[in-house]
Amino acid sequence: MIQMEKNIVSFNNTVDVEEMPVQISVENVNIYYGENHAVKDVNLPIHEKSITALIGPSGCGKSTFIRTINRMNDLIPGARCEGSLLYKDVNILNPKVDVVQLRKEIGMVFQQPNPFPKSISENIQLPLRFAGVRNKKTLNQVTEDCLKQVGLWDEVKDRLDRSALGLSGGQQQRLCIARALALKPDVILLDEPTSALDPVSSAKIEELLLELKNSYTIVIVTHNMQQAARIADYTAFFYQGELIEFGKTKTLFTNPEKKSTADYISGRFG
Amino acid sequence: MSSKVTNRIALSVIILCAAVMAGILVSLLSYILFKGVTNISWQFLTTSASPFLAGGGIKDQLWNSFYVLIITMILTIPIGVSGGIYLAEYAKPGRLTSFIRTCVEVLASLPSIVVGMFGMLIFVNYFGFRFSVISGALALTVFNLPVIVRVTEDGFRALSLHQKEGGLALGLTHWHTIKTILLPAAFPSILTGIILSAGRVFGESAALLFTAGLSTPDLNFSNWNPISPNSPLNLFRSAETLSVHIWAVNTGGIMPDVSRIANGSAAVLVVCVLLFNLFARALGKMINQKFSGK
Amino acid sequence: MKISKIATADPASRLDNNAKLINEKGLLWRLTDRASETRGKMFIYSSALLMIVAVIAITLFLMIQGLRAFVVDHLNFWTFITGTQWYPDRTVNPSYGAFPFIFGSMAVTFLAALIATPIAIGTAIFMAELAKKWGTKVMQPVIEILVGIPSVVYGLIGLSIIVPFMRQHFGGSGFNLLAGAIVVGIMILPTVASIAADSIRAVPDSLRQASYAIGATKWQTIWRVVIPAAGSSLVTAIVLGMSRAFGEALAVQMVIGNVTKLPGSIFDPSATLTTIITLSMGHSTMGSVLNDALWSLGFLLLLISYVFIVIIRFLSRRRNA
Repeated sequence: MIQMEKNIVSFNNTVDVEEMPVQISVENVNIYYGENHAVKDVNLPIHEKSITALIGPSGCGKSTFIRTINRMNDLIPGARCEGSLLYKDVNILNPKVDVVQLRKEIGMVFQQPNPFPKSISENIQLPLRFAGVRNKKTLNQVTEDCLKQVGLWDEVKDRLDRSALGLSGGQQQRLCIARALALKPDVILLDEPTSALDPVSSAKIEELLLELKNSYTIVIVTHNMQQAARIADYTAFFYQGELIEFGKTKTLFTNPEKKSTADYISGRFG
Repeated sequence: MSSKVTNRIALSVIILCAAVMAGILVSLLSYILFKGVTNISWQFLTTSASPFLAGGGIKDQLWNSFYVLIITMILTIPIGVSGGIYLAEYAKPGRLTSFIRTCVEVLASLPSIVVGMFGMLIFVNYFGFRFSVISGALALTVFNLPVIVRVTEDGFRALSLHQKEGGLALGLTHWHTIKTILLPAAFPSILTGIILSAGRVFGESAALLFTAGLSTPDLNFSNWNPISPNSPLNLFRSAETLSVHIWAVNTGGIMPDVSRIANGSAAVLVVCVLLFNLFARALGKMINQKFSGK
Repeated sequence: MKISKIATADPASRLDNNAKLINEKGLLWRLTDRASETRGKMFIYSSALLMIVAVIAITLFLMIQGLRAFVVDHLNFWTFITGTQWYPDRTVNPSYGAFPFIFGSMAVTFLAALIATPIAIGTAIFMAELAKKWGTKVMQPVIEILVGIPSVVYGLIGLSIIVPFMRQHFGGSGFNLLAGAIVVGIMILPTVASIAADSIRAVPDSLRQASYAIGATKWQTIWRVVIPAAGSSLVTAIVLGMSRAFGEALAVQMVIGNVTKLPGSIFDPSATLTTIITLSMGHSTMGSVLNDALWSLGFLLLLISYVFIVIIRFLSRRRNA
């Protein structure tokens, strides 16, 4: 790992385009699990139609943080959040927020591909049906569009009514992304989406994310620094629950301000 | 005595225990089946019971058993599955939840005759249903509810959290995630448990003694009007089931062929329970295969 | 990978772009809209409440009915519990002494446990320690099937095998306390064995390895390590079996002889709480003193089942601690 020098890392060539407006503004966010102070006083902007990567050693709070953005932490008993996550002039953490509506606008893809034990087309149509879409033609059209967007259409178009569990891991993960796209969210959160996949499938997903960022805001947690360097426009480095450094990916990787950031990205710990 | 010798002796005793167990179980099953199966004939299954004469069959009792079972299941499954979903998905740790858990445990360990007495008090006398199919089914509902609750809760707990997260992250409400994703995913294990519990309900006798009664009116199997008093579908007529019949002929039967009827009925009962078991296992396997997409 | 260049819809065309993030929907909406989860939740919660209602109703109604004998008919509680004379039919001075039934129930329960425990635990050890493959593949399913065999069938077997055997070897009618205990003992065998096997399997392998590593034989490992580690769950298995034996009615009734006198030995016919209820309930009219006394016995049965539940809870709490 020590030899991993900066020249291995190839950067996303869109880093230098003009800065997009801020979509979600994170201010003084603190997250607790019971007594455990898991995320400490985080401030950062999430820019529209860009990829923001959260990196850091495991247990640094990055997953906890991303799960707060669409309130998935509500599922965990004893989890408590303070501060403000401003999205569309609403603080996401406000208890009055309709989490169901929020999650339609801020979708999420998880580390372990989790297609439902249903057919491929049902997997994509389920959220739509629930949102009130009844028209068969629309449903089929959206299914096709979403599968095409993730490059899965040609692979599965002949077996749309077969169980999604018969797909390979990489295909399942792309199906999960397609499913998240069906509702046309503003933001897509990805929690280590490639860590359970082989390198070829991972590469496909990375390519896909670069394509999707033209239409969606993407936040990705990754433990793979090269991945962050390859695809992210902005990178946030978390360590022990604190946001150590945030900036444009290229700046953060080539010219980190803090010593611990430099240590982490050169592989000296973590 | 050296430890090696002790080891030998002790292990032999254990093997002996297992052999005794296996011996008892095998002889039990084979006794019932061999003794009884010879008595089973088409005529035995399709003739009505005769109170005094030889040659009676078990048509009505067999029908009653299945009918009571079906009504019980119609009553139990929605309530039991909901109760299980409550415990697995909605219950927050606290006093109320642990009290509900205790209640399920209490219901599960009540002697069935106590359930029968309760049924007699409430359904037979208080509600005025008399000895009837519906009284019996309601009593068996009390008896079967905790089983379905447990089966459902276990089925839900065995699902991975990923499924639930997947649903919620798509903007489904908790309830719709349960209804459209978790319940179908847990369905195979719940169904297996339900069929197994059906075997238990089918063989239950003590709870039915005071609720469904010890007699059956003359059933007219061409009359399917559920309000008519001698229709097989009538819910408010008394209904002696197969297992109650076995007990009744043995304790008070005066027909000359008591042992033929008892052995034959027992064999039918055991065969039905075995079929429920095998069916449950096969079904569980089949659905599992279908879901895994192979 | 080639990504198909189709126009990705812009977020403005989202399905319900008018929806507000802050939830301000009223009760009426929540009850009528199909997207709402209120109705589903209401059904779920009321089902859960029904469990509580059922338990409270059973306890309350049996209590009210069970106390009638003492409150309305003025039977003396103490003579009811300890009296040995059960002559409800005597026109002059009928007497209601339920001790023979209480004793009968206890005797059947303990004898059944005595018969079932060694065989069931031995089988459990065999299945979980000695022949693991065979145990889980063949014996476990067979035992699980036997758990489901209806109790009247066990009663019938007792009637056609054990009673004649007793008659031949110990004289009398063959209907006696021991026959009842044997029938119930066999009936609870599969239950106890299968729970015991589960608790032995739950003992972590590291304990066994540690024991073998210091040169213990198989039996020493089982006796000094596995059984103590499985300890209170094994006891739970036995107590569960006992509570089933205690509550069993028809199977016992078919073989025990149904004599309301206190038995002098295990070869005497006798009766239990469940058998006297089974037999007399149908012949007594609601509201008569005999009927009230039977309900008191039923209430007693309920109370003792509660005692079993408390014991089992206590044992499993100790295990979790």
